[in-house]
Amino acid sequence: MPETTKNNVTETPLSRRRFLQFGAAVGAAAAASTALGSTASAAARRSPFVSSGKSLNVICEAGGSLELTPITALFKKMTGNTVNLIELPYNGLYNRAYSEMSTGSVTFDILAGDAIWIPTFAPGLVPINSFFTPAVKGDYFPATLQEAQYKGNYYGIPQWTNVEILYYRKDLFESTAEQKNFKAKYGYDLAPPVTWQQFTDAAEFFTRGSALYGTDVKADVETEYLATVLQAGSPGVVLADNGSIIIDNAQHLAALEFYSGLNNKLHVAPPGAVEAGWAQAQTLFYDGKTAMTRFWGHLYRQIPSSSKVYGKVGVAPMISGPAGVAGIPGPYYLSIPKASPNASLAMEFLNFCYAHGQLSADTGLGLVSRISQFKAYENKPGFAAYKPMLETLNAPQTKTRPTSPQWQQIVNEVLVPMLQKSIGSNVNYAAVLAGGKANLEKILNQI
Amino acid sequence: MVAIETDQSTLVSARLPVARGRRRRQLQDRQYALLLMLPAAVVLAVLVGWPLVELVKDSLYSGGLLTGQHFAGLSNYKAALTSGEVQASAGRTGLYALIVLPVELIVGFAMALLFKTLGDRARVLRTVFIYPLLIAPLVAGLLWQYMLAANYGILNQLLASIGILHGDNSILWLGDPTIALLAVAIPDIWLTTSFVTLVLFAGLQALPADVYEAAKIDGAGPWQAFLRITVPLLRPVIAVVLVIRLVDAMSAFAVILIETQGGPQQASTTMGLEIYNTFITYGNTGLAAAISVLFMAAMMIIAFIALKTIWRPGGVTR
Repeated sequence: MPETTKNNVTETPLSRRRFLQFGAAVGAAAAASTALGSTASAAARRSPFVSSGKSLNVICEAGGSLELTPITALFKKMTGNTVNLIELPYNGLYNRAYSEMSTGSVTFDILAGDAIWIPTFAPGLVPINSFFTPAVKGDYFPATLQEAQYKGNYYGIPQWTNVEILYYRKDLFESTAEQKNFKAKYGYDLAPPVTWQQFTDAAEFFTRGSALYGTDVKADVETEYLATVLQAGSPGVVLADNGSIIIDNAQHLAALEFYSGLNNKLHVAPPGAVEAGWAQAQTLFYDGKTAMTRFWGHLYRQIPSSSKVYGKVGVAPMISGPAGVAGIPGPYYLSIPKASPNASLAMEFLNFCYAHGQLSADTGLGLVSRISQFKAYENKPGFAAYKPMLETLNAPQTKTRPTSPQWQQIVNEVLVPMLQKSIGSNVNYAAVLAGGKANLEKILNQI
Repeated sequence: MVAIETDQSTLVSARLPVARGRRRRQLQDRQYALLLMLPAAVVLAVLVGWPLVELVKDSLYSGGLLTGQHFAGLSNYKAALTSGEVQASAGRTGLYALIVLPVELIVGFAMALLFKTLGDRARVLRTVFIYPLLIAPLVAGLLWQYMLAANYGILNQLLASIGILHGDNSILWLGDPTIALLAVAIPDIWLTTSFVTLVLFAGLQALPADVYEAAKIDGAGPWQAFLRITVPLLRPVIAVVLVIRLVDAMSAFAVILIETQGGPQQASTTMGLEIYNTFITYGNTGLAAAISVLFMAAMMIIAFIALKTIWRPGGVTR
């Protein structure tokens, strides 16, 4: 290559060979540092994620981490064994559990999972039938025992149980002026509603333009509608116990007319019901935009002091339809994957959780699972939600969701789209249910 | 080389040792270059090639990973091609790409031209314009979910305050199935138009100034210069940008997952989300793999056609 001279300095441009040599040196250095770095980071990552025999890894949601923290601290104190809580968002928790159990190589020893996952994960979980002695079973709600099982085996212990109850604005319901006006209009005393009719009356009464709405309607989530189906007297939700489709029975229709009618006919809910889910309903209630909401029991202890409704919230059991009070339980279970190398220590921890579950009551989520634990706390300050939760969970019409590995697909492709289609004007609810049934048949025929 | 006055054969034999030496040196460089590429090729083979092979293998099996799989041949492909949900997702994916690509290209090109025109004066503006590129898609999806929410979203409130909307709930961005796809396209456009601008701006910087001077001397106006010089010369850059954005747009996932989860009524479920739901949520590994293989093949064909028709290297527009 020709040299050039500039300002009496002879410059030799970089030759192709020299460039390639330089590139090779840089590449080798980069590869070496990456290998070292990944080894180091892999070593750093290894320590909290691989059980050493004296520690366990529990994967859970943020709420689960809150619930289990005091129990893990006591476990460490009493046994010397460490329990690491690995927080993941809901979908991420499901993904990780499913992916790892599918490969047969897991980085966790215990899964704190949703009840609806048990049918899907059962082949990868350790059956724990021996745990459920008559004494143990006697202290759990029948619904939570039912959802712990799949095809005759128990796969998880209920660690915290949730159910929707009624939240209402005490300042509005206890206002003398509001009580007087309500009595004048409806002919009976204003009180936290018990029946569908009372709920409707209160919702209409408290709907005042866009400043305040009586309640919310959530079409982006299905559980509340399913509770309404049970309140209407259906023997089950979506599928009967024998697997037959009941999504278009008279009770599902009555429930849909009531549930969506609050928005479509009575206009007692804020606009946007189609996209309203738990987060939106919570925000609306916290901002004082709704006088009542049906929400999960844990909300009571989580109302922030900065909220417009702080200190003004009352709770009552879930409302009662023609068949009585009913709710859909939402328990979470502690399960052990078959691939865990620490199954016996994990079982020891599960037993410990059963014995000390009441420690979770004083956490941010504040939920327990055993009937005795609910009763021990129901009269304590700050636990006003426990009594209505107990009453709702004990109600004869309170039932579980169907045990089906396709349940999540049914929720995503049938129930939620069906609810969203039911929002609007001049909706033919029977046609909406018929469309839902057709989609459900397609999914079930794929099995 | 020294000129040798002799017959042709001597001249040839005099040249031969030098040529052979240069050829030997070229071979060594080529071999050296291949050797340098070998680690990258191994990494690609392991990280890309092997998973592809596994993907195709998975597509030939049915059953859940937890319950055990069995060989199913091409039945997953048949199920994918005849599935109404997959066909609808494919249609929505195409529509999504048709929404985002023209907007990003037109706005991106316009901004690139503006930056070129302003020169150094646009330095601060260029930096600010690139900020969305630094935001993770998940964060963008969450941000826009709150901005587009019906009851407390700032976009509706802004549009109502300036009189475009009557009441702040007039547009159900995330709740109306007819416009949900547009709602999830907005964050994508917001996030990646700056990428298009960046690449096109770099291309504009590299265009030779003398061509424009010659055109000006010949009496060409700005619009003629743009159409006859800028666009043809930028064709390879435009092709690359389009192909990259096309593949990105068609595999959009994170923003949609966060913003609408594919709803309402699956109105914003594109192929990425369909594959995710089929595999992760519903546990149907074989079908998800088959859909992925078909989707990948379709994208490769589209990308090939796009490159062939738009780039045309060496082609001259007369």
